[in-house]
Amino acid sequence: MWKIAVGFLAFAALALWMLSKGGDIDIGGEKHDVSPPAAEKAAEKAPEKAPGK
Amino acid sequence: MSTATARFDGSANATPRPMSPEEKKVIFASSLGTIFEWYDFYLFGVMAAIIGANFFTKLDPATRDIFTLLAFAAGFAVRPFGAIVFGRLGDLVGRKYTFLVTILIMGLSTLLVAFLPNYASWGIAAPICLIALRLLQGLALGGEYGGAATYVAEHAPMGKRGFYTSYIQTTATVGLMLALMVILGTRSTLGEKDFADWGWRIPYAVSGILLVISVWIRLQLKESPAFEKMKSEGKTSKAPLSESFGQWKNGKIVLIALLGLTAGQAVVWYTGQFYTLFFLQTFLKVDPATANILIAVSLILGTPFFIVFGALSDKIGRKPIIMAGCAIAALTFFPLFNALTSYANPKLQAAIQKSPITVVSPAADCNLILNLTGTKVFTSACDLSRVFLANAGVNYDKVDGPAGSVATVKVGDKSVVGYDSKAPTAKDDKVRFEKEVRDALTAAGYPAKADPIPALSSNWIMIVLILTIMVIYVTMVYGPIAAMLVELFPTRIRYTSMSLPYHIGNGWFGGFMPAIAFSIVAAQGNIYSGLWYPIIIATMTFVIGMIFVRETKDVDIYAND
Repeated sequence: MWKIAVGFLAFAALALWMLSKGGDIDIGGEKHDVSPPAAEKAAEKAPEKAPGK
Repeated sequence: MSTATARFDGSANATPRPMSPEEKKVIFASSLGTIFEWYDFYLFGVMAAIIGANFFTKLDPATRDIFTLLAFAAGFAVRPFGAIVFGRLGDLVGRKYTFLVTILIMGLSTLLVAFLPNYASWGIAAPICLIALRLLQGLALGGEYGGAATYVAEHAPMGKRGFYTSYIQTTATVGLMLALMVILGTRSTLGEKDFADWGWRIPYAVSGILLVISVWIRLQLKESPAFEKMKSEGKTSKAPLSESFGQWKNGKIVLIALLGLTAGQAVVWYTGQFYTLFFLQTFLKVDPATANILIAVSLILGTPFFIVFGALSDKIGRKPIIMAGCAIAALTFFPLFNALTSYANPKLQAAIQKSPITVVSPAADCNLILNLTGTKVFTSACDLSRVFLANAGVNYDKVDGPAGSVATVKVGDKSVVGYDSKAPTAKDDKVRFEKEVRDALTAAGYPAKADPIPALSSNWIMIVLILTIMVIYVTMVYGPIAAMLVELFPTRIRYTSMSLPYHIGNGWFGGFMPAIAFSIVAAQGNIYSGLWYPIIIATMTFVIGMIFVRETKDVDIYAND
């Protein structure tokens, strides 16, 4: 049991660290909408945030 | 004594003992496979915007609506269908082979997305193939959970089924976290542009590695001893579907399991894990990165309680814990969400109390704002005004205006005339309307965004505490439910009978939760009114469950084999 607890803590710490570094992500679960606003927003967003720009 | 019988120790006469190495392997393999299945399924949700940009942006609106409906069907129709297809297979040919098939389908259909050309390369064939793969994922997921839960429960000794199966219950959360980690790791390594261009394929390719690991581990597993024994005695069902759903004796238990267990469990789960995030971001205007961290911390703090309540259910029973979870959630959702507002965006709460807002519109102009499938378009001034205000996290009262007038939003002394999206000037009207309402809201003290919430500040800690309480509700209703569903049905039709109520409960009652809750918010003009949906469903489950669901922790699941 202690191995599971330690593994879970390590996993959780890594997940939180990664979220804190790049937390601008949708964790709202499954999506079904393929409507243009969401898609276009993503397409427009990529160049804006590209490194070095 | 046959090998199967020798390993078969789940009967009522079994004595308590520590978990054997083989049982640990069974739990590990089943949980790991289910984690990977959730990982695969969540990739689509987390990267929906990028996938949309690669596959759907160029489609005309009508075609896009069809694809939205099909993507919707993958979650809400195909998953229960998968439960029936693979549940039947699991009861006919065995648990082990069936959930080997489900993981192969899930893994391969996810892996193929990594290599699927986008719309620019393949035209309309690209989104068609993507949706077909998505449908296959839904099918596989429908068969996975029941198989894993049944397989683990049939290996568990008497008095430990709640504890053993509770590990399966952690997999949806862990799968989501794993998906986030792989996506964030890839994105931060490649940069936003490369990730949006091609890097998004890497998390899909990673599923190939996960597939190999899962299949390798599962191939080493033996068939469930209960099923093996039944098969060797020639007692397996010849027609699991008709036995499960065609005969009232079992069909009524399926119905009770749906309405008296999984429906309430699902709404408590979706409210505690997903609606809280939506509420923080959409209504309370907490910035997405902060909201993600708050939710993630609460999920991590709450996840061990799946095991705690699973194990506790072996001692005090499944029913008291699940029913208590539904009842406490129903009684406390309103105060908890009110408290969330006061800690996450106190200025909004003050503005709501100080500056009431009114929408004046003819009743005939106001329709039901319900967009279950994501394809409905609202056009009237009243509907558009209400959707805008709901998205702004603003409470309002609706007052009937004279027939023929245009809906007007009143913020204090300021009146803003609405617009009809079918009017020739709709585009300009929309810009004018939204700007004027925003300005009026700002003037009345409504914050455009929540103030930053520094990590570990007192407000941050209180928000995490409130969210963790709601995640603990999730663990109360979800931790013991696999064991309970398994124990409700006999071995010969267990896989079929338990899978369907689980997936209808979670896919329909839970999956529709965000759309229905938002619809109620927009209709009622109150950001808390959406909570009536989970409260009513959880209360229904509590009442039906208390009357019709029997306690099962001491049931010998092999008694009728």
